[in-house]
Formats: sequence, C-alpha cells, structure tokens
Amino acid sequence: MAGQKLYPRATVKKIVKAHSNCNVSKNADVMMFLDYMLFMQTLVKEAAIEAKQGGERGITARSVKKVTADSLAKFRG
Amino acid sequence: MARESRRPDATTPTRRASSAEPLASITRRSILRTPGSHARGGGGPPRPPQGLSASGRKMAPPPTATPHARAAFRTIDSRRAAIFTPHRARRKSLREVRDSPRDFLLSLGRVLARNTEVITTSSSSSPPGHDDKGLGSDGNDTTLGPISLDEDDDDEELPKRPRLSLPIGEEDDDDSDDLQPHRSVVIDDDNFTMQSIEMPRRAISEQPGGRFSMGSVRMSDYFNTNDMLHSEDVGVDSGFFPPTAVLDEGNFTMGVEELSSPERLDSDGDRRGLGRESDFGIEIPVGEINESTFMIAHQVAESPDRPPIGDDEPIYDDYAPLVDQRSDDFDDEDLLGEVPALEEESAEGPSMALHHETELETVTAKRAEVRGSTKKSIKVSKHGIEYPSLPPAVVKRLAQNFAKASGAKGKITPDAMKSIMQASDWFFEQLGEDLQAYAKHAGRKTIDESDVFTLMKRQRQINPNTTPFALAQRHLPRELLQELRMPPPAVPKKRRRVAKGGEDDEVT
Repeated sequence: MAGQKLYPRATVKKIVKAHSNCNVSKNADVMMFLDYMLFMQTLVKEAAIEAKQGGERGITARSVKKVTADSLAKFRG
Repeated sequence: MARESRRPDATTPTRRASSAEPLASITRRSILRTPGSHARGGGGPPRPPQGLSASGRKMAPPPTATPHARAAFRTIDSRRAAIFTPHRARRKSLREVRDSPRDFLLSLGRVLARNTEVITTSSSSSPPGHDDKGLGSDGNDTTLGPISLDEDDDDEELPKRPRLSLPIGEEDDDDSDDLQPHRSVVIDDDNFTMQSIEMPRRAISEQPGGRFSMGSVRMSDYFNTNDMLHSEDVGVDSGFFPPTAVLDEGNFTMGVEELSSPERLDSDGDRRGLGRESDFGIEIPVGEINESTFMIAHQVAESPDRPPIGDDEPIYDDYAPLVDQRSDDFDDEDLLGEVPALEEESAEGPSMALHHETELETVTAKRAEVRGSTKKSIKVSKHGIEYPSLPPAVVKRLAQNFAKASGAKGKITPDAMKSIMQASDWFFEQLGEDLQAYAKHAGRKTIDESDVFTLMKRQRQINPNTTPFALAQRHLPRELLQELRMPPPAVPKKRRRVAKGGEDDEVT
C-alpha cells in the first residue's frame, strides 16, 4: 500500500448507493470497505482451507465458489 | 544403611560428595539387582563392589542434583543393571506382553527352570533369605516361591515401569490407525458445528428456505454472470465443441488435480457427501454453484437459443446456421405432416424462423451490450442504477494479502479471481440491501456510519472484545483511519464536519 491508495472511495460509494438506493454519508464507505476486507479475509481463508482439504495447489475457482455462500451468509446483516 | 554410608566415607574420600543421595540410589540399585537383598537389609561383603559396578560411573550424581536429574540417573542405573542381567529384562518384557494360557505355562516353565538358575547366579547369601520370605508370606509350596519372588520384583521395580508403556503405546498406535478414517469426519464435524452455531442467529424469515428464495433472484444473476465468465474462458472451445465441451471445461480445473491419485478423489467424494449431509439447506445454492452441470442442463435444454446467447459474436455466427437448420427441419416435418404436435409451430414455420432470428439478434445484441458493459465493469442494480464493480487490482491485492496471511500456498488462479470478484459483487449487493434496511428503519435516507457499525455488530465482526477502531487500525492505512474519528460516535457527523471542513470531499 505504499503510496497507493487502498481502494477507490468513490467507487465503493457508488456501488453501495446503487444497491441501496440511499445516499452514503461522507465517511461511511471506510467502514463499509473495512467490512468488505473482513469478508474477503473470511472468504479467502475458507477457500484456502477448502482447497487444502480438496488437495488443490492454490486457491481455485472451485474452492472459492464452494465457500462463497457460507461466507456471504456469515456477513448477512 | 548407616553402616554402608560410613564405609565409603572411610575408604574413599573422593566419593564423599555423593554421600547421602547417591547412597539411596545405590541401595535402590542393589535392590534392583538382587531381590533378596531387601530382606537382608543391606550390608554384607558383596555390597561395595555391587554399588560400584552397578553405578559404573565416574561421577556420582551431585548432592544438589534436581529431582529430575536424580530420576535420570536412576533410570540410567536401572538400564545398566538391566544390561548386566539381560535375562531378567527379557523375561519381564515377555511376561508383560503375553497373557494366553499357553504363555502362562511357558512362563511357569521358565520360572521353574530359572529357579535353579537363580540360586546359582545370585549371590550366595540371597537364596535362603528369599526362600524364607516366599514361604513365610505365602505359606504355600516351595514351587510358588519363585512366583512370589517375581511379584516382589514387580513391587520393587518402580523405575522399570516405563517398560509397560511400550506395548500400551503400540496399542495406542493401533487405535489411532483404526481411527484414522474418522479424522476427516472430525474435520467435517468442525464445519458442522460452525454452521450449527451460525444458524441460530438467523431470524425465521431468513432461514434457509427464505434465503433460498432470495437467493433464487441472485442465482439467476449468478447464472448470467457465470455464463459470461465461462464464455469468456472457453468461448472459442465451446464454439468448436458445442455444449458438452463446456461441461468438460467446467470440470477441467478440478479434474486434473483430483485424478492424480484415486485416494484423493475418494476422500474428496466423501467430504463432499458429508458436507452435503451436514448442511441444513443453506448449501443448496452451493451445490448448484459447484456443479457446473446445472448450467449445462440449461444449455442442452434450450439448445437453439442458449449457446449463441452465452457466446461471443463470432461464435454466434457459427451457431446461426445451426438454428436455421433446425427451423428447416421443422419445415420439413410440417411438409411431411408427420408430427401433428408441431403444427402450431409449423403453421407459422418460416415466419417463426424469422421471428426466432430477430429475437435472437435482439437478445444477443442485449447480451453484447451487457458484455461490453461488464468489460467496462458497469452493472445495473435492482434499483436500476448503474454501478461499477471494484477494480480487480484492488480485489486481487486484498485476496493475495489475505491468502498469504492464511498460509495458502501458490497463487490465486484467474478463475478463482473471477469467483472472488463475483463474491465481492454479491457482498456489496447484500451490504447495500442491509444498510438500506437499517437506514430506512432509522428513518433516514442516508446510510450512516452508525448503520455500518450496526451491521458489523450483527455480523459479529464487532463485539466487546473487538472494537471497530481496533479492526480499522489492523486493516486500514493511516489516512483512512483519520477519517474514522471515533468508533461508535454519538454525533459523529457534526464533529467530523467541523473537524474536516472541506478537506476531503469525495476524495477518491
């Protein structure tokens, strides 16, 4: 992240705004992205475990797809 | 004992340092060596040489030795004693291992045979005392004397006990061998418990069934996008090899690795089966996600329409004659009049074919639009608002960081990246809906930080032990941390507006 911004803030705002049909307050997107990071952490971790159990080399599409539903359910509000 | 301790003092002053402690060990050692010596109480001419030979050590354990060191010395000594009397050790181990009646007879024979041997080998004074003791304690025949001797040996040879643990350890190994197949089950049980823990916090309305209905909307979404993904992947191939080739491609990535060893394939199958059993129904979408077959079923079912829809323009051109052929077939059937069921279609046969074509073209045009937009990464939400997706570079960097952190070897394949992108799109969709619900509930039209905090609390990402600030500090760079003044701010907006001013309006 050296000299590089973590994520495009406007993009995140646009995405959430489109999905929620609501405005997004000025700094809420930071927390949203934090939440997203946690989600990614969960997803990748689960995918890595799944891949290891399935005897795959790295994280593959299969392992990711398999854990996507669970991870999304975990991050359901 | 006292006599004995005095004697070494008198004879060898160098060994004085080892006065109290080693003597105790020496006496125990002597007990180990000659069972009868205990009854004797110690002393007697053969003693000093025994102590020396049994220890056989230049350095006696220092008086300040820790208990562990003493125990170590003791075990070394007992081992040495066992070396000096190998037959006893062998006998002991055999006695511990075998328990069948035949072995009892064997051991009895051995005992009887040894009876004489013991008398000959052991020191001259020991046999009478030991015999007396056997008679006195048991009051039985003299033949039982040796047996009682053995029992005495057992009582006295505490340091020898580790011998016992050897066969037990082997048995344990056997047990673990037996249990090994269950290990995967245990792992799955972990998943199971995780899910079972996860379940209760759902409201009834959000139980698997409810979510499935929700998911069905998403699933159609998923289907389209996945279709696109696949066509991007294997578009050319599917052009050459119609639908079934897609199936092969879909399974290909996993097939290569799983077929390398049959065991792995088996275990995978087991695991998959178990996983499906343990799920309560949440997994239904997972199953459909995993199995590319359901996609193929669609493609096969709607053969004329589907493949061109999913494919690129040139491939559509390839397919176009196919469609025409099929409509021609209908026409032929119509002419022959053999298939009355098709009459409705056939009545407007050519026009139908034309209609088909135009429809197809419009659909494909739409698809092309969508495709083009996905390449520009712009989609339309259910509120009809276009939105971009996160730049893949950002997602990839995040995923790689977390993959490294979670210890996954190898890199994330492009396919996996697509799945991750898909998952993050879904995540933001879900996030937007949830946040909208919270904001609406609070009577706002603006999603606030407090909504996000509430959401994260409900996601159990924030709890009394994990403050949002701690999470932010762990994951976010400093410039973003500065935006997040306080974790659960009572009146955050005002303060921030005052503090920040126009410093960062829509900073991208």
